[in-house]
Amino acid sequence: MDGTPPPPEATPPPPPPVTSGSPTEFLKNVVGKRVVVRLTSGVDYLGMFFSRLRVLSCLDGYMNIALEQTEEHVNGTVTNRYGDAFIRGNNVLYISAAEPL
Amino acid sequence: MDTSSGIQEPFDLIRLSLSERVFVKLRGDRELTGILHAYDGHMNLILSDVEETIMLVDGTEGAPPGHGVVNVAKRKMEMLFVRGDGVILVSPPSRT
Repeated sequence: MDGTPPPPEATPPPPPPVTSGSPTEFLKNVVGKRVVVRLTSGVDYLGMFFSRLRVLSCLDGYMNIALEQTEEHVNGTVTNRYGDAFIRGNNVLYISAAEPL
Repeated sequence: MDTSSGIQEPFDLIRLSLSERVFVKLRGDRELTGILHAYDGHMNLILSDVEETIMLVDGTEGAPPGHGVVNVAKRKMEMLFVRGDGVILVSPPSRT
């Protein structure tokens, strides 16, 4: 039995990633959009990623965040509003898009 | 390169607030307002003419959320060094 035929159904190669989704890619996509930033304390900040002039001017390597038009939400109720806000990165639990990308 | 009004990184938000009155939210349910004189990469801050607000939740633990008795203590300080690791949020004065 030489010349064995190839296996009838090779497993298809994995599909290419649909969203070219790296964390950086996500962050680039949410610049200028409304986001929810949750802190480890459970407090949420709903605001716009600072988008004046430069892409990713709103984030740095420590995940410090600059937001504008920021609402502070605790247990679902608005507890504060800030025009601009700087959030120290160590407090950040996650960043979530608050509108479709 | 962007000029003085440019925001290239979050810290620029703080830089543009130097000599202005800022609001600072700290760990331990504390808030400060004061004039920002200096800061560094740790977010250590030098503030003057500071008012500190301390929220103390009193009363029974079983109280429904939002119904606990909140005592607010305030005190004023002329000059303050804030260690950066206690900082949660800094909000510059609203400029519109």
